[in-house]
Amino acid sequence: MKREHSHRETSSVKVDSSSMTANKEEAGGFDELLVVLGYKVRSSDMADVAHKLEQLEMVLDDGISHLSDDTVHYNPSDLSGWVDSLLFDLNPTCDQVKPDQDSEYELSAIPGSAAYPPGKRTRTGSDSPTTTTTTRSMVVLDSQETGVRLVHALLACAEAVQQNNLKLADVLVKHVGLLASSQAGAMRKVATYFAEGLARRIYRIYPHDDVGLSSFSDTLQIHFYESCPYLKFAHFTANQAILESFATAEKVHVIDLGLNQGLQWPALIQALALRPGGPPDFRLTGIGSSLTGQSIQEVGWKLGQLANAVGVNFEFKSIVLNSLSDLKPEMLEIRTGSESIAVNSVFELHRLLAHPGSIDNILFTIKSIKPDIITVVEQEADHNGSVFLDRFTESLHYYSSLFDSLEGPPSQDRVMSELYLGRQILNLVACEGEDRVERHETLVQWRNRFSMGGFKPVNIGSYAYKQASMLLALYAGADGYKVEEHEGCLLLGWQTRPLIATSAWRLNRVG
Amino acid sequence: MAAANEDNLNECKRIVPLNTWVLISNFKLAYTLLRRPDGSFNRHLAEFLDRKVPPNSFPLDGVFSFDHLDSSSSSTNLLTRIYLPAPLDPSRHGTVDLTEPLSTTEIVPVLIFFHGGSFTHSSANSAIYDTFCRRLVTICGVVVVSVDYRRSPEHRYPCAYDDGWNALRWVKSRIWLQSGKDSNVYVYLAGDSSGGNIAHNVALRATKEGVKVLGNILLHPMFGGQERTLSEKRLDGKYFVTIQDRDWYWRAFLPQGEDRDHPACNPFGPRGQSLGGVNFPKSLVVVAGLDLVQDWQLAYVDGLKKTGHHVNLLYLEQATIGFYFLPNNDHFRCLMDELKKFVHSMEDDTLSKSSPILLTP
Repeated sequence: MKREHSHRETSSVKVDSSSMTANKEEAGGFDELLVVLGYKVRSSDMADVAHKLEQLEMVLDDGISHLSDDTVHYNPSDLSGWVDSLLFDLNPTCDQVKPDQDSEYELSAIPGSAAYPPGKRTRTGSDSPTTTTTTRSMVVLDSQETGVRLVHALLACAEAVQQNNLKLADVLVKHVGLLASSQAGAMRKVATYFAEGLARRIYRIYPHDDVGLSSFSDTLQIHFYESCPYLKFAHFTANQAILESFATAEKVHVIDLGLNQGLQWPALIQALALRPGGPPDFRLTGIGSSLTGQSIQEVGWKLGQLANAVGVNFEFKSIVLNSLSDLKPEMLEIRTGSESIAVNSVFELHRLLAHPGSIDNILFTIKSIKPDIITVVEQEADHNGSVFLDRFTESLHYYSSLFDSLEGPPSQDRVMSELYLGRQILNLVACEGEDRVERHETLVQWRNRFSMGGFKPVNIGSYAYKQASMLLALYAGADGYKVEEHEGCLLLGWQTRPLIATSAWRLNRVG
Repeated sequence: MAAANEDNLNECKRIVPLNTWVLISNFKLAYTLLRRPDGSFNRHLAEFLDRKVPPNSFPLDGVFSFDHLDSSSSSTNLLTRIYLPAPLDPSRHGTVDLTEPLSTTEIVPVLIFFHGGSFTHSSANSAIYDTFCRRLVTICGVVVVSVDYRRSPEHRYPCAYDDGWNALRWVKSRIWLQSGKDSNVYVYLAGDSSGGNIAHNVALRATKEGVKVLGNILLHPMFGGQERTLSEKRLDGKYFVTIQDRDWYWRAFLPQGEDRDHPACNPFGPRGQSLGGVNFPKSLVVVAGLDLVQDWQLAYVDGLKKTGHHVNLLYLEQATIGFYFLPNNDHFRCLMDELKKFVHSMEDDTLSKSSPILLTP
């Protein structure tokens, strides 16, 4: 059998010129071909990373060293950092310094054929200044094959609205109603909400923001908490990051930017109670809107009862504001130097994007109190683009996945959860300007914002990932819920569609 | 021992581009951490480390994708990721039309792709495989259906094969995967490593059950046997792969207590079945010259030839496993050229059964 005779270059394998160019193309300094595969390695670091991989291989080959199952891994995309950590873990006596987990990297846009962030839109419409388009991921279920006409009708109606052709939109929205009624399950419910949103937009019957209905909102949120794991995941992962940052601190202060019913804190209080060496003094500052002022005190009181029961010294303060933008550092009464501070935000920050400057205000306030950690959970979606039709399409896919995940035997929790989500859909579709508060943005967009705001990432690692996965298996039962790790952040999704993202931050101490 | 290993590493680094070396070495290292000596697998850490990407209904570089969940099959929810060329009309970008065939005039081959990972690692939404499938669409002019089959050790033989079979039946029954004047779904089965093994076994079942598969594409397929072949001994530990790790994966996949002469591992071995008189599809088998499994792959090719089946062998002498993850080498280009020819040669079905042996230039 003939064998090929390859020409071997003295130093490297024969590669053609076009791929050589591709390798050399600077993508923020990262090797572009590896970026597409999910790894960020600077071309200038490649040889060094290769060398360390060799070292690791030799260490592991010795058969003496091994890595415990309990080793915690962080941010596998940062290959250089990951490899450094492994070397350190396997050779702790060596005089390497433990690598900084929060390795800095540039978040400039990655050009070329990178798989994410994805490329430009081709629809007409201006790009908003913060545009980073999502991939509009979609999971199609069997039922949706027959529901395709319904989806098309919805999109056609939205397009008519986009073009301000309200007569056509009116005809189409009625058509949608007809098609929806012949559907079943999640598809029907989602279509109904989106159709209602479109109808309100066409007829200008805008839904009011939650005035007078805030206690109802709270109730809905509790049902949402009970019926599906999204809030539980949000609380759990944020608490993990907070616990890790508190470490052995003797006095800790958590500032919750949206206390609601305080569902996140019993678990943290219990975890603190069980801390080896004893619990710290725990101080909670809960922020709420002026509509929920009375109930914030009650929530604080109940948490106090729990803390007492488990032996944790507890202090509570409530702050009532019209908007988070009004939060001033002095309101928080920080005890500088003596307490470890965590700022926590679950689904709160995106609302501030409705008012110009608000997000900058809150970030400034947060920076000025110098917290040890900031935990942020947000919907993983691009629902804040400037083009209505794009927002509509994105959110249709997003809520379809979300509603699919809720499908199951009927229960009051589920019905209320659907209503909870339905109100978000109505706001997203029917409202504009300052009324449109459901301005979800993606993890990539939030990362940019925090980075530019003077914060750096705190990586959430494999321990939290594993615990979150196991928690999901307990509560959710169905194997559709998936946790993913993305460059130090954790995302919870339904099937392959990430739906919420938890990230953690601290101040970028420059100079 | 350390010195010999160091030689291995240096030699290996000379053969592949540096970024490819880093990528595959990274996998090798990670996989070593995940396999436990008792045969169990650290699945949580595996999923944590795996780089995943979402599908994109809005085209990127001429390809769009979406995920489909088939909950109709009896026991499992089978996820597949479908990759299609972007519609020429930009106003149709971002939506998925599941009511129309791919074409009513041209034949559009549909490649059912089974990702590799030695039956244990990776998923359809792993970045390495998502990227590879996208390249298949643009370079070879096919539609790709990537199957997220159940993996070992949690799901042993025959789970992956059953999932593959269900995927084949599902694909065959989709209106929107039909093409040509006769409105058929023109199916090829493809896979790398364990995926190649799955492709063979699904083709086997298709043959038995009368489902038409136009061809198989096996990219350094995972086969083995009890015997230690020359290539295994010669290349053990030299190019990312060891006999020891291969053994681990077979133990994890095969039914407990079975050895590597089980027909799933060794299809033409002592317990294998002959394909004589069977209407098995034509095959393109790609063998990497630096893969220690090659003797088993070449034996597979011989096994097909012996019973008169059409096999194209593409032997890439200087290629290591995983050469196709990055498009920065000639082997990649060669593979794509051959693959493209293979899936667009529908009329060649009636040609003689001789097996041209193709080599890298």
